[in-house]
Amino acid sequence: MSNPSKTRTVEEINQKIRKGDAQVLTAEEMKKLVESSGVEVAFKEVDVVTTGTFGAMCSSGAIVNLGHSDPPIKIEHAWMNDVEVCHPGAAVDLFIGATNMSEKQPYEYGGGHVIQDLVAGKEVELRATSYGTDCYPRTALKTIITKEDLNQFYLLNFRNCYQRYNCAVNSSDETIYTYMSKLLPRFRNATFSGAGELNPLMNDPDYETMGMGTRIFLGGGQGYIIGEGTQHSPKNLNGTLMVKGDAKKMSPEFLQGGAFTGYGTSMYVGLGVPIPILNEGLARKTAIQDKDILTDIVDYSVPRRDRPKFGQVSYKELKSGAITVNGKKVRVSSLSSLKMAKKVSQTLKSWIDEGSFFLTSPVERLPTTTVFKPMRQTEEIPFVYSVMHKAVTCTEDEEIQAIAKRIVTKSVNHIVVVDETGRLKGIVTSWDITRAMAEGKKALADIESHNVVTAKPDEPLEIASKRMAQHNISALPVIDIEKKVLGIVTSEDVSELLGR
Amino acid sequence: MARILIRFNEEQVAEPIASQIIIEYKVPMAILSAHINSKGGEILAEVPDDILEKVVNAFRQRGVSVTVPKLIEVDSDKCFSCGSCIALCPVEAISLAKDCSVEFDKEKCLGSTCSVCVDACPARAIKSIKQNNSDSANREKKR
Ligand code: SF4
Ligand code: SF4
Repeated sequence: MSNPSKTRTVEEINQKIRKGDAQVLTAEEMKKLVESSGVEVAFKEVDVVTTGTFGAMCSSGAIVNLGHSDPPIKIEHAWMNDVEVCHPGAAVDLFIGATNMSEKQPYEYGGGHVIQDLVAGKEVELRATSYGTDCYPRTALKTIITKEDLNQFYLLNFRNCYQRYNCAVNSSDETIYTYMSKLLPRFRNATFSGAGELNPLMNDPDYETMGMGTRIFLGGGQGYIIGEGTQHSPKNLNGTLMVKGDAKKMSPEFLQGGAFTGYGTSMYVGLGVPIPILNEGLARKTAIQDKDILTDIVDYSVPRRDRPKFGQVSYKELKSGAITVNGKKVRVSSLSSLKMAKKVSQTLKSWIDEGSFFLTSPVERLPTTTVFKPMRQTEEIPFVYSVMHKAVTCTEDEEIQAIAKRIVTKSVNHIVVVDETGRLKGIVTSWDITRAMAEGKKALADIESHNVVTAKPDEPLEIASKRMAQHNISALPVIDIEKKVLGIVTSEDVSELLGR
Repeated sequence: MARILIRFNEEQVAEPIASQIIIEYKVPMAILSAHINSKGGEILAEVPDDILEKVVNAFRQRGVSVTVPKLIEVDSDKCFSCGSCIALCPVEAISLAKDCSVEFDKEKCLGSTCSVCVDACPARAIKSIKQNNSDSANREKKR
């Protein structure tokens, strides 16, 4: 089957790298070459295509070994620059998680920043406490460390390099702060993440060349793929990587802490995979373009696992700065840096060109059949629809007297004001009515509030309850997308069910 | 062009101070936004850099408060050109250059009065600096 002119091996490519005559193109250059000269020529001429991405990768972290103190301590709790780090091992091994936040500057400084500072050679304060044992008597510790003082300092990222990611929008009336950044109300902006056609996995979607042992560009140094990442979901083009690399040799340019207002901290990771062009198929696959990579437009204002979607867009549209959502033009911008992604692929190319980076064949390829399952939940949580009941309503032309009567006969505290088609206009409370009667007001318009805080039927009850507390109110009309009133949920309903 | 925020109190609103200054100094002042009623008000205006100081002082001599809302400051060492800020900007002052660097157009930016992009920057590279009334015009000139 193997026709010598139709394939090449990683060993052959490494020979060429050693001799200095391997042909290396960045993914960007490869696409141009295939477009102008075709797959056959591209396969003949190109040995390696370098890819790259630089984005916030929350499931990242670093494992460090501190060496033993005297007297020794078996660390139970530890903090680095006031960021709690975890102690998964015996005595002095710590894992710095990128999303753990500083106790003094939450949302601004976190584990990702600690890793960046260590990589940059900065001093980091370490505090630790313990319960003390016969062999590890010490119960408290405070010291200053740099990366030079650590025995091991390895980046160990259990989910990196998402093949592609959602485009996020917000249909609600309020600005929301998410891991997809700040989303302005009523679709006033959209965000996306990922490098599209430069993404490593997108350029080898069948994972022919990638798996355990593939040497990669990681954080400005060399690292390895050690397997599929968590939540790897290859069948719907949402593959991920688990990676490892010596952080002492990395650079703070390609590993940077990130701060997301209202969400928390993360770490931006620069990651690039060299793809050996072993056959024509790989030449064709690495020619993939942004226009061929589609992703969903997802409404992040709905706090559910399955959020509503508004169709698909290509990375070409996303990178153009504007997309169309529901027939409306929405400006869109990226969270991950295209500039840095390019720099990753160019740096990797230059390493191979100068013979300081050699390719490896994976000892086991990434799986192509993994399925990402949702959580098994043994307890159901209540949603707004589970407790909402029929709202007592009135229209704007009714007399206050009549409404007062309805409040008494129906024994409710809130009357929802609707128009003839049942759409929400406002709300009046029994207190509004009492005051209006005392002040001799007759018209509903004088007392009705139009600024109504509402709930959606499929929201978790907990969130609706929080909203009531936030606005210091005791009921929320439940409405659908067209503002039609479906019912009402009150704080009594909530306390009955949630017991608060 | 520099942006200034002019604040009138209740008495000053009744007088045609702004028109007087515009005529006296022949300032081509572009009004960007104005919120004025009988109780006082605010005007956000643009004046040419070379007469900025004169205009600011003229208003202040008449007892009107003027702030030069400083343009936000972007730390180019910290910015890694992610682009998160771009689509948030209401006046399209932020854009992607050819090499995918993110660039701020200081001419277009509304400055610290806007600040929409500030808390969205994951690198915390954008700062909005509110200046006090007294010496902002001078400091602006020195830069
Ligand atoms: S402060 Fe406002 S106007 Fe200026 S760049 Fe930021 S978002 Fe744009
Ligand atoms: S959000 Fe911050 S880091 Fe990203 S491009 Fe804007 S200024 Fe630069």
